[in-house]
Amino acid sequence: MPDPKLLYDAVVSGDAKSSLAITQQALADGVDPLQLVNDYMVPAMDEVGRRFEANEYFVPELLISARAMKAALEVIRPLLVARGDKPVGRVAIGTVKGDLHDIGKNLVASLLEGGGFEVIDLGVNVPPEKFIEVINTRQANIVAMSALLTTTMPAMRTTIEALKKAGVRDKVKVLIGGAPITQKYADEIGADGYSENAVGAVALAKRAVAA
Amino acid sequence: MNSRERVLAHIAGQPVDRLPLMPITMMLACQGIGARYRDYCTDYRVLVEGQIHVAETYGFDYVNTMSDPAREAADCGAAIEYFENQPVAILEDQALLTEKTTLATLKIPDPLGGGRMHNGIRAIGLFKERVGNEKMVEGWVEGPIAEASDLRGINTLMTDFFDDPVFVKDLFAFVVEMELRFAREQIQAGADMIGMGDAAASLVGPQIYEEFVWPYEKQLVDGIHAMGGRVRLHICGNTRRILKGMGSLGCEVVDLDSLAALSDARQQAAPGQILLGNMNPVTILRNGTPELVTQVAAECHRQAGSRFIVGAGCEVPRDTPPENLRALCEYARHHAP
Repeated sequence: MPDPKLLYDAVVSGDAKSSLAITQQALADGVDPLQLVNDYMVPAMDEVGRRFEANEYFVPELLISARAMKAALEVIRPLLVARGDKPVGRVAIGTVKGDLHDIGKNLVASLLEGGGFEVIDLGVNVPPEKFIEVINTRQANIVAMSALLTTTMPAMRTTIEALKKAGVRDKVKVLIGGAPITQKYADEIGADGYSENAVGAVALAKRAVAA
Repeated sequence: MNSRERVLAHIAGQPVDRLPLMPITMMLACQGIGARYRDYCTDYRVLVEGQIHVAETYGFDYVNTMSDPAREAADCGAAIEYFENQPVAILEDQALLTEKTTLATLKIPDPLGGGRMHNGIRAIGLFKERVGNEKMVEGWVEGPIAEASDLRGINTLMTDFFDDPVFVKDLFAFVVEMELRFAREQIQAGADMIGMGDAAASLVGPQIYEEFVWPYEKQLVDGIHAMGGRVRLHICGNTRRILKGMGSLGCEVVDLDSLAALSDARQQAAPGQILLGNMNPVTILRNGTPELVTQVAAECHRQAGSRFIVGAGCEVPRDTPPENLRALCEYARHHAP
């Protein structure tokens, strides 16, 4: 049996092939899937986040680590779902309507997934109705929105208003981020939280579901 | 000394009457003439009108043809989306080079073939006619990693560095050849300077920047110089770890975003490098007060030293209060380098 600790190394170094192979072998050997997530994958993505924050890793390194994590998660997640294990939280994430810039959103989504969240990635240019639908149909408890442009920021306010109108605002915490966003803006539009970077967004989401 | 003379003299290291002033404006320039941004991107006459209006209103020393990053990609055949009132965007889920093999058959579009690049070249011709003796006329090309991102999809390109480095280098070589052809036509149409926007460079670390990006940026800069052009490099985002490379490309102007410090750039760049920037365009210029803008402009000047041009870290947002932008301009007007 390969040492599951190698899973940690495979995720940190962004080796998707090894990550998948080690996971498959460990599962075949009877290792608990949740243990693989909690003992190796979450700490690995924590380390990736730390290196990213310390300017040791940059976007390419983070994305290949995320890919290695996802390769393992794809075989682990169905097992967790089948036995009824619940994720830390369910996040519906997307760039707001009119905004097609998604690299920041993708970094946050990967780190959230690495932090044990189930991430429902709605992609780019997401209209408010789409967020509402996912809150209703998939019980998302966090809505995470991103905007890169000052011209698309107002869609965050529009989305929050739409959540209120649809009667689902109280079911979710709304977190926002993106280059032009500030805490002041988050307060103004009634968002529950703002993070200026991807690593901070995970801590913010954890606080949001604990509150 | 008029605007053009001021910038050219400053670049040449000769005395000037005051600090040159070259902030990037696009949507603000369009708003100033009450036009739709879609028209600003697609009709060079609207762009020229907007740029001249904003430059004359605020006393900028230059005009510029940049409207969005998708001119070259659109002419290559990439899927793009037009919006009524924001920049043209590239549809990454339909990226032109989703299949890497497409690169082998991709033809460099003719910059004078009636497409979006041609539109930009026409803008230069009209600028030259209208304000060419008075103000600097700046054209624009995308840098190697920015344009490669537009053609391949930025998320995919980021992993290509590890998965297929040979492809990345082939793609960058294609981009450099295309951008040099585009730059040549812009210079022939009368551009005094070519802006080179390489935004995605701030997403990679020093290792990838030095191995993949810098050599192609250098080819582009050297090529533009060989045509008699000058280069303003602008990289959006946090460039703290690649400042040394940016400052050693030989660009006439290195235009810095707010996430890297001008003091760091000054230490790491080649001696005498002109630096431009770099106050936060949102939190300071748009959300601040005239007093704060003046204070931060002074701090930028202090950090950059005399080889400095006044501007913001990135595009001046459309809804920036005029009094804040005026404060930035006044700083340039009342200070010698």
